[in-house]
Amino acid sequence: MSTALYMSTLLAQVGSGRIQGGWEYVWAAYIIAWASLSLYALSLWLRRHGQATHDSKE
Amino acid sequence: MKGARPISLLKTVGVLLAKDLLIEWRTRARLNALIFFALATLLLFSFAVGPDTKVLARNAGGYLWLALLFSSVLALGESFRVEQENLTLDGLRLAPADARAIFLSKALGNALLLMLLGAILIPVMVALYGVTVAMGAGSFAATVTLGCMAISAPGTVYSAIASNARARDVLLPLLLFPLIIPALLAAAKATSLVLQGDPMNQLGSWYGLLIGFNLIYWGLGFLLFPRVIED
Amino acid sequence: MSDLLKTVLQVLSTVAALTSVGLGVWLGVKWAPPRSRVNGRPVLVGMTAAGLGLLALGNWMGLVWTPSEREMGDVYRIIYVHVPAMWMAMLALVVNFACCVGYLLHSSWKTDALAEATAEVGLLFGTYGLVLGAIWGKPTWGTYWDWDPRLTAMAIMLVTYVAYMALRRFVEDPEKRAVWSSVVGIISFINLPIVWFSVKWWRSLHQEQSTPKTVDPDMTLALRVNAWASLILLTLFLLHRYRIALATREAEVAMPEALPTDVPGSRDNRASEVA
Repeated sequence: MSTALYMSTLLAQVGSGRIQGGWEYVWAAYIIAWASLSLYALSLWLRRHGQATHDSKE
Repeated sequence: MKGARPISLLKTVGVLLAKDLLIEWRTRARLNALIFFALATLLLFSFAVGPDTKVLARNAGGYLWLALLFSSVLALGESFRVEQENLTLDGLRLAPADARAIFLSKALGNALLLMLLGAILIPVMVALYGVTVAMGAGSFAATVTLGCMAISAPGTVYSAIASNARARDVLLPLLLFPLIIPALLAAAKATSLVLQGDPMNQLGSWYGLLIGFNLIYWGLGFLLFPRVIED
Repeated sequence: MSDLLKTVLQVLSTVAALTSVGLGVWLGVKWAPPRSRVNGRPVLVGMTAAGLGLLALGNWMGLVWTPSEREMGDVYRIIYVHVPAMWMAMLALVVNFACCVGYLLHSSWKTDALAEATAEVGLLFGTYGLVLGAIWGKPTWGTYWDWDPRLTAMAIMLVTYVAYMALRRFVEDPEKRAVWSSVVGIISFINLPIVWFSVKWWRSLHQEQSTPKTVDPDMTLALRVNAWASLILLTLFLLHRYRIALATREAEVAMPEALPTDVPGSRDNRASEVA
């Protein structure tokens, strides 16, 4: 009886196949997105007109 | 120059190609160095992977094309450096030679050079990696021809650009390698199939990819090259 | 959230984004050229506010408001930032291709400057979109890098455009740089579909990647809001980068002899921007 119950719950888990948790990946992704956008905005601010330097230099 | 008839274009290509091949022949030392570079690359792969002949035999196609690709960067870089040393490219343009003819002759010359390299490398590869060859010389020749032409057309355009830029030795592989990935994939796969047999009849689709790649890049080079070397 | 509110949100975000793009084009023509007398500040502040507001709203919807997905759980929430980033990268590169073709047909510093701006901004969105895709791969496929055709093709594309930007840095003569980078830009763009098909064939022995098929209408709405927000940010970035490129070009063309001696220290920050 208990094995049958165990089997059914196991099957239910397999059937839904749902990934549990994973919020750390979600937060990492959003933070990376925000960081890249704001860093690029910062770099544009640093290069704003008057301070724009030549593109090609060695 | 604009209204050049196809016949005269082909004639110019022939003359220029003969000139390039003559230069190549007169500077044989460089050609020999290139061949030894390619052979050394093949040899180094076996040291890097270890003496496991099974692994080497399975990946032989990939190693062959990597060796060819690395050598092609050297060969392509040289092909415009020769012209630059004596400013002969300016002379050719003043001649006036059609820029498209310059492209075709350079790309054909580079393809021929790579094919020669491939012809030398394949027997060495077969011996070195202990490969059994499933198919005949015809499919080998087709694979090498298509693959070398696929490298040389974009390679010629990019080496003309890179030879005038700073850091040209870095720039050419940086530009060429990501571009060449589809051709490298197809050529390496096709070579593996030629070596190991093709039970699933996949060879045709890889050839198709290579032919399409060639058509696109020879066409693009033909169209765009005049803009690259204009003043 | 009531249906009415959802419709209002849908319409408002669309209108805000499309208006921003229109204003962005107008500013690009009127305000971006050097020594322009147009005061762009109020419009720019408005666009920035709209973009950031929509982004905050969209991210809140993605993180909190939408239900979790049936198979992916909460991990799927990454698509709200990943997919818009990829879309914007593609959009920027399409504009870049148009600029490259345009420059070869009719030389103009404006086309060249826009090509430079689109390549750089496209690289920005593509790079973080790719990193997000790899992060997505870890919980869903069990590894960061699965050689999934889409991600692989995207990675190759990014390397191609890093090379494009490197070429721009390595050529001093502005006219040659413009012509050559146009040629390279055209070839790089045409390469994208070839790379895509070849990588797909190469991976054809492996299983097709599964995308979530159970799409809730709320999820679509959240994705749209995020995408419109990204479009406004893309417009703003392009606009500012275009303005910088125009100023740089003017300085180069006006005094070509000033090129070799330049501020030596600023090269490092430039290199880091591409990465």
